[in-house]
Amino acid sequence: MKKFVTYTLSILVLTIGLVYLSDFIYTEVYTHFKPRNKLQYILKTKNENFDIVFIGSSRVANHIDTELFDSISNKKTINLGVEGAGLNDNLLQLKLLINSNHISNVFLQIDSNFESISPSNIAISEAMPFLKNKIIKNHIKKYFENFEKLEHIPFYRYAVNDPKIGFREFFFSIINKKPATNPNAGFTPKFGNKIPKTESSLPKLIRKENIILDEIIRICKINKISLTLYTSPYCSKIKTEDYIKKLINKFPNLINLSKGYNDRLFYDCGHLNNQGAKIFTNNLYNETKDK
Amino acid sequence: MFFNSIDFAIFLPIIFILYWFVTNKNLKSQNLLIVISSYIFYGWWDWRFLSLILFSTIIDYLIGVRLSNQENQNKRKLLLWTSILVNLGFLGFFKYYNFFLDNFITAFSFFGTEINANSLNIILPVGISFYTFQTLSYTIDVYKQQLEPTKDFIAFSAFVSFFPQLVAGPIERATNLLPQFNKKRVFDNNKAIDGLHLILWGLFKKIVIADSCATYVNEIFSNYETMNSLTLILGAIYFTFQIYCDFSGYSDIAIGTSKLFGFSLIRNFNFPYFSRDISEFWRRWHISLSTWFRDYLYIPLGGSRGNKWNQVRNVFIIFIVSGFWHGANWTFIVWGTLNALYFLPILLTKNNRKNLDTVAKGKYLPTVKEFLQMSFTFGLTVLAWIFFRADSVLIAVKYIKNIFSFNFKRGIQYLSIERYAPELLILILLFIISEWSSREREHPFFGKWRHLKISLTILALVTLGVYSNVTDFIYFQF
Repeated sequence: MKKFVTYTLSILVLTIGLVYLSDFIYTEVYTHFKPRNKLQYILKTKNENFDIVFIGSSRVANHIDTELFDSISNKKTINLGVEGAGLNDNLLQLKLLINSNHISNVFLQIDSNFESISPSNIAISEAMPFLKNKIIKNHIKKYFENFEKLEHIPFYRYAVNDPKIGFREFFFSIINKKPATNPNAGFTPKFGNKIPKTESSLPKLIRKENIILDEIIRICKINKISLTLYTSPYCSKIKTEDYIKKLINKFPNLINLSKGYNDRLFYDCGHLNNQGAKIFTNNLYNETKDK
Repeated sequence: MFFNSIDFAIFLPIIFILYWFVTNKNLKSQNLLIVISSYIFYGWWDWRFLSLILFSTIIDYLIGVRLSNQENQNKRKLLLWTSILVNLGFLGFFKYYNFFLDNFITAFSFFGTEINANSLNIILPVGISFYTFQTLSYTIDVYKQQLEPTKDFIAFSAFVSFFPQLVAGPIERATNLLPQFNKKRVFDNNKAIDGLHLILWGLFKKIVIADSCATYVNEIFSNYETMNSLTLILGAIYFTFQIYCDFSGYSDIAIGTSKLFGFSLIRNFNFPYFSRDISEFWRRWHISLSTWFRDYLYIPLGGSRGNKWNQVRNVFIIFIVSGFWHGANWTFIVWGTLNALYFLPILLTKNNRKNLDTVAKGKYLPTVKEFLQMSFTFGLTVLAWIFFRADSVLIAVKYIKNIFSFNFKRGIQYLSIERYAPELLILILLFIISEWSSREREHPFFGKWRHLKISLTILALVTLGVYSNVTDFIYFQF
């Protein structure tokens, strides 16, 4: 029995050792290697001055051609739109960015994302390697009943988020594989035109308030950052008028760019293609240049 | 309670300590501990169905005792049939009631008669197919006077409910397992360490290989209509490895756990994908079920004796029943029939006992002929698994039809899956190499590199295991 117990304990010790080692190596790689997503990019960005920061979902990542915007505006801008991100994720991005950089303007895209106050799985997964960062920890801990486990059990955070930060992403970080979305440039153009046949609409009702958006407004005010709210277009198959009207009632300064785009300018119903994005970037500049 | 759960990781050491340090002085206490822990293990899933196991145990125990005292052949037959009807009655009701009802309604409506009958919302008790067959083997062996019936109810209860193999086998024979409950168990270091290795290898197969494959298999089979030929072929191959690693992984953990308690269970898988013909495949796949059907159905029917017609009939019966055992769906029946068709030419040409040894024994590589034979057998198996996995026979036929559309445009399609893409193929290749190199043993942890192999396996479990989307063992549904 003694031999068996010793052997079992050695296997257990080996397992615990490998779990700690894996956690350490993964965290080091995600912290020190070249960023492969926008959250990693923000964490590495220090002492920069940005004239405009664009935040939002894929409807920012696919719509704002920052290179074009920079050339026509002569300003330094950055597109931090992330596929699947909600206002909660935008708030986290903003908190991290202003912590070690200077920002003059924030352009926040809002539409039906106003209806959600939860963080997205994508953004949360990407934040998991950086739980030691106080801003990230304070921001996300209230959303997880198992936060203690995520924080203290080694490798647990990587294991339960393996599709996003598991071995594959770890390996790609090590070999410095070019990511699908370049976090430095931010703009991710879409090509093609796939408009569905079925019709849909934005939500019929609008929520009374969104505490996350209120927090974004509050942070911008404290840090003397000018906040511009705008909305992007949808294709003709999505009925948007009623909801956008309700949104404008809540935010009278909202820049409404939801109309005037032909369906051929869309990649799919919620996202403009490359050609549409360039037109939209120009229009957004023209609408905001005097503000 | 599942083997791949935290609950089991806590449960197992507690029972192990109680077994070897508290109840070790008394055989009856050890057996009682096994019964109690087995009922806790099963009740963790749904305590209500414990009554079924208890009822089955009492019936078969009493019938066994009565059979030992009964000389009258007619009364002995009556006792045997009571056991068969009670056990298969439960199985039939819980597993096949809705299937037969739906098919009767469809058949009658085909002839213009509408029948109104409602299906019942029946939950299939986990493991019912396994423990039913195990208890049946006891009664049949006692009836045939191949086994002395036990008078020890606790030992018999432990035999029926032994937690390592209760819910998904191996389906033990009373002749092998029951006597082990009547003998004093002495702790054997080597056996226990071997058990630990089997548990580790079983977990690797389930959590790393089977669950990684499952992610792709689910995606590909759900979207087969839009997938190209190459992706559909890969989907079928992934399922072939998923089901093998899922089920043989479970068996490895079951056998390994039993070894920790001093028990030896029969081997359930013996590298089936290295078989050179279908006959060999069935000697290596789910061995406990295949041999059960061989001994209690095929041989009583006449086996390979008699005229050609009888031989063909027996082969079809055994494979179709085996298919139907897996579940109440035509897909399993077609899967069984297909295997019967594969097997038939081998039987009729009397080649069914040709490949009894291990392929390329003592060599590094197989001969070209052996390689081609293994590839052909593997291909046949992959084709049959499509029926096993598909939701209906029609879907399986469409899936195969789409494979043979020879559309190889767009390479490998994986839809929205973001986990391993080509990496999974590499992982499977490494797994095949590992299986090949250990094909004359039970697991790869042997030789001077065993410590390195163990470390790499643990590392793979930690970093490559699927923990975000934990799936149940496939054979729980049977």
